[in-house]
Amino acid sequence: MGIVFTFLKKYRVAASAALLLMLIELSVELVQPLIISKIIDEGIQKSDLGLVWMWLGVLIVTAVIAFAAGIASSFFAAHTSQGLGYDMREELYDKVQSFSYSVFNRFATSSLITRLTGDVTQIQDTIFMGLRFMTRVPLVVTGSIMMALFVNVRLGLWLALTVPALFIFIAWVMKKAASSFSKVQRRLDSVNGVIQENLTGIRLIRVFVRMGHEIRRFALSSEQLMKGTVSTLRMTERTMPYILIVMNAAIIAVLWFGRYDIAAGSASIGEVVAVLNYTMRCIGAMSALSGLVMVLSRARASAQRVQEVMDTQDDAVQSSDSSFTAMTDKAAARSEAAIQGDVEFDHVSFSYPGSNIAVLEDITFRASSGERIAIMGATGAGKSSLVQLIPQLYQEASGTVRIDGQDAGQFDPESLRRNIGYVPQEVLLFSGTVKDNIAWGREDASLEDVMEAARKAQIHDTIESLPDGYDTMLGQRGVNLSGGQKQRLSIARALVRKPSILILDDSTSALDVRTEGALLDALTDISCTTFLITQKISTTTSADLILLLDDGRLIAQGGHEHLMRQSSLYRRIYESQYGEEAQHVQNIH
Amino acid sequence: MFKTFIEPFRHPRPKFELGKGKGIFSRKSNTKTKNLQGTLRRIWSYLAQRKGKLAIVLLMVLLSSALGLLGPFLLGVAVDDFLETARLTGGEGGPTWIYFLAGLALVFVLQAITTWLHNIWMIGIAQETVYRMRMDLFTHLHKLPIPFYGKRQQGEIMSRLTNDIENVSSTLNSSAIQIFSSVLTLVGTLSVMLWLSPLLTVLTFTVVPLMALGLRWITRRTGPLFKERQRNLGELNGYIEETLSGQRIIKAFSQEKRVIREFEERNSRIRMSGFWAQTISGFIPKLMNGLNNLSFAIVAGIGGIMAIKGYISIGVVIIFESYARQFTRPLNDLANQWNTLLSAMAGAERVFEVLDEEVESRDEGAAVKLDQVQGAVSFQNVSFGYDEGRNTLEGITFEAKPGEMIALVGPTGAGKTTLIQLLSRFYDPSGGQILLDGRDLSSIQRESLRSHMAFVLQDSFLFDGTIRENIRFGRLDATDEEVEEAARLANAHSFIMRLNDGYDKVLKHGGSGISQGQKQLLAIARAILADPSMLVLDEATSSIDTVTEIKIQEGLQRLMQGRTSFVIAHRLNTIRQADRILVLKDGRLLENGSHDELLEQGGFYSELYHSQLKRAAM
Repeated sequence: MGIVFTFLKKYRVAASAALLLMLIELSVELVQPLIISKIIDEGIQKSDLGLVWMWLGVLIVTAVIAFAAGIASSFFAAHTSQGLGYDMREELYDKVQSFSYSVFNRFATSSLITRLTGDVTQIQDTIFMGLRFMTRVPLVVTGSIMMALFVNVRLGLWLALTVPALFIFIAWVMKKAASSFSKVQRRLDSVNGVIQENLTGIRLIRVFVRMGHEIRRFALSSEQLMKGTVSTLRMTERTMPYILIVMNAAIIAVLWFGRYDIAAGSASIGEVVAVLNYTMRCIGAMSALSGLVMVLSRARASAQRVQEVMDTQDDAVQSSDSSFTAMTDKAAARSEAAIQGDVEFDHVSFSYPGSNIAVLEDITFRASSGERIAIMGATGAGKSSLVQLIPQLYQEASGTVRIDGQDAGQFDPESLRRNIGYVPQEVLLFSGTVKDNIAWGREDASLEDVMEAARKAQIHDTIESLPDGYDTMLGQRGVNLSGGQKQRLSIARALVRKPSILILDDSTSALDVRTEGALLDALTDISCTTFLITQKISTTTSADLILLLDDGRLIAQGGHEHLMRQSSLYRRIYESQYGEEAQHVQNIH
Repeated sequence: MFKTFIEPFRHPRPKFELGKGKGIFSRKSNTKTKNLQGTLRRIWSYLAQRKGKLAIVLLMVLLSSALGLLGPFLLGVAVDDFLETARLTGGEGGPTWIYFLAGLALVFVLQAITTWLHNIWMIGIAQETVYRMRMDLFTHLHKLPIPFYGKRQQGEIMSRLTNDIENVSSTLNSSAIQIFSSVLTLVGTLSVMLWLSPLLTVLTFTVVPLMALGLRWITRRTGPLFKERQRNLGELNGYIEETLSGQRIIKAFSQEKRVIREFEERNSRIRMSGFWAQTISGFIPKLMNGLNNLSFAIVAGIGGIMAIKGYISIGVVIIFESYARQFTRPLNDLANQWNTLLSAMAGAERVFEVLDEEVESRDEGAAVKLDQVQGAVSFQNVSFGYDEGRNTLEGITFEAKPGEMIALVGPTGAGKTTLIQLLSRFYDPSGGQILLDGRDLSSIQRESLRSHMAFVLQDSFLFDGTIRENIRFGRLDATDEEVEEAARLANAHSFIMRLNDGYDKVLKHGGSGISQGQKQLLAIARAILADPSMLVLDEATSSIDTVTEIKIQEGLQRLMQGRTSFVIAHRLNTIRQADRILVLKDGRLLENGSHDELLEQGGFYSELYHSQLKRAAM
């Protein structure tokens, strides 16, 4: 819960105002039984009408004051809780965005989403309740005890003795419930995980007619959630009968001993009634406690989950990545200078965090600014892993990646990546217009820039033919565009940055040969170092340097002719694509 | 200091469209109250499925409320009959006093037990209800037509299944029962009070019209506000989902600051609607409390005067006070619950909106189930467009004989994937018809149709789970041997064996940790395992290197034998053996024939083919 108070600090004025106003409200309520006992003892019993009228006036005025205070406290409480929720989401999201890619992958996306929405809402609602009536419980209870003691010490003592004992019991239940609730939230995570997966893979599930299978899977995880929730809630509910029985026992005790005291003349009827009244108030407040126990333990579990994200440290090596939020002076200075685009790998090895399998081993090559580098190799050879090291999405385990002769890890990630255009293998587009999606690469891009990038990416004509041209809305993940069109959009998105280094991770796989050819030709006009992962020999022939990867090793590098002579694997790839056709074509002609 | 102090009052006022429910899903402009009633009725219909249990719970609530009324009444009696006389009779109250107290104790214990019982039973019913709602929504999502998903943000739909349902859940747990018991207690209190002193009762309830007015003022504002908040939460959820799924690209483009800024906009929208929803709904308990204090004062004052004049006894005044207090509690509960109830209603409404979406047009009455499929496919003048007035496919006509391999070739955006989506009945053609074995496709049950086909889709989606489970998705009853055999045919076996845990390697986050090409290999293995009558490969090997591809081709060739198959590919050498090549361009069927025939025609295909060769020769 500590984290909640850290966030609460900013709103201490509003929070204290809310509490103060509630205190006013409360004191009015607490004074009321006292006034009533005065009406009974001094007014009714002595038949003094004037006194009754006066106290009546006091009662009404205090009621109005309490009402006004209540309304005002509503503003303060809502301001505090909504502000806190806002700040918490903000900070969480900032934190998540500051994670390096490998740290980010430690959390399931669905779990992060739940934390950002569900958990924060939980905390926020609890704060709101806290400022409005949760804190009221201890206040009503202590206030009532004090007033009861004030009215009649001997009778009030009954109340003063039972309540603390109950509180200890409740605290114990709450602690147990909190751990149980965090289990429930984890189950909620897994339910949400299934939901997200099903929404993403909905087409696949349909074509394989596996709806029943998925529904069963979902039923299983939501059943677990249901069972967990029920048992946890029932646990908190157990406090209820104890509270009622113990508190009501106190009432009977007050009655029993009250009668003796009245008989002995040491207490008036009015006093006994007042103490009874205060005890009833305590019951009222405390019977709300079982509900509060639930809310509080739940909020505690949520706070822990938020804290977990906040406390996640980027690994020491990755620390540079988190610095984007506070760009250091030295990095800022460096970012001014544009990157030329020389890329050098110096005995680079790499394995994914948390895995000991070497994905890349001892890779060494040099690419000068403006060159085109084609990367080939079998599926799983490490091609994508290699290019991910250039924008430092991951960091090399050993060896050095150098950009313009400088260790890439030394760059401020933002200024480094600003000079890189990256087109990942799987197309990721965002909701918004076509123009938004291309300009996403560079915020200050004008429509001209966007169009030029689109032209180079061979997608301009297609966009023009869309109903609203560049203003056509794309659904999530760009539905209703073909795979190849989406690929070209994401290429345009990279080109609009006018990058010094362009990385195309098999981004032309869904393009037909002619479009691809036109695209590659257009790319030669741009002066940037281009890394091209490809399966097609037709693409490699125009490259200045071909890197041939096999099982994480760089087994050959050089131009097309060179590799044709030197590498048997390259020849095999060549033959797999042209061997037969070449003969075939010759046969026709 | 002063500035921060007045800050809460300076939030911009929200605009109210009173009496109007507005949602992106609702097509009819229902009035809000009608919506609220409808929503309540539907929630009730869920609860009503557990009538027996619910009846017991209600009985318990009735009991505990009655006992709750009896307690204060007995206290009044205690004051009137026993305490007043104490001064006269001395300390000993005699056996009646002891019996009386014992009776009181019994009432209290019974009240505690019944309260506890109805609470724990209600928790069971509520959670079961939420479970069923969640299942219904999830099941429904699997029945909705694919176009539904095309237009909506995934995270937004997700929010309905998570945030909105959770909202309903927490309300049903506590509120439902409290509302019921509050109403019962109110009614009970009212009748006892009337019986004791009608005049004083009327006085106590002079505040009720004020309450009703105040509540009306408040709920007319909070209803739309809560709905707005849930909608904003849904939007935020959508944004989070999208940007977290696209995290790689955000990192690579170093757009963190930008997404954070856009997040901020959405975040502050929630804050605004949330602030006003909470503030205004927060008035409710205060209003209740205030008016109640007022009625408390009235009872005490007027009651006191009446007691002096001798109309009523002091005991009655005391009973009335404790009832007025008693009366506060259910009203206060009711008022507090009203908040959560309103926000839950907003959540439930959003859930029902999806449930009201029309399902994938139910297979027409006469739709048949296919036991066997020969695989003769015929497109007759088929046209189709995703959006009105813009056709993606135009007048497509061709025939495929059983067992033929049909290749689809053409520039991107020509309509190849769309054609396949029609074949799988994700969409139905807007013109012409598709025949399978001479039968109109739309007369065949979707599930039955799809169960005879196996697909390798363009994006090879993997589930969180082991590799084995992912392949077995193709046929759930397949043995481990069959799974491995399929993996071998897809040429995936060797890379799987190189992984740490082999087939038991757990894939997370949609298959991170293995490459795109490897994902495709697994998708192919999945299709092979399905062993269908028809096979559809949509760029199944686009990310696979050509050497591996050749190896898979052998496996695929064997698989395609005797099965009608549709193959989309850009590398023309992979489709040379096709029985028929369909060349599509701009949604039209340009050429149709075998590889050799098309080359001889010297049209678009031969141009494509030669340009591909030329690039190699460069």
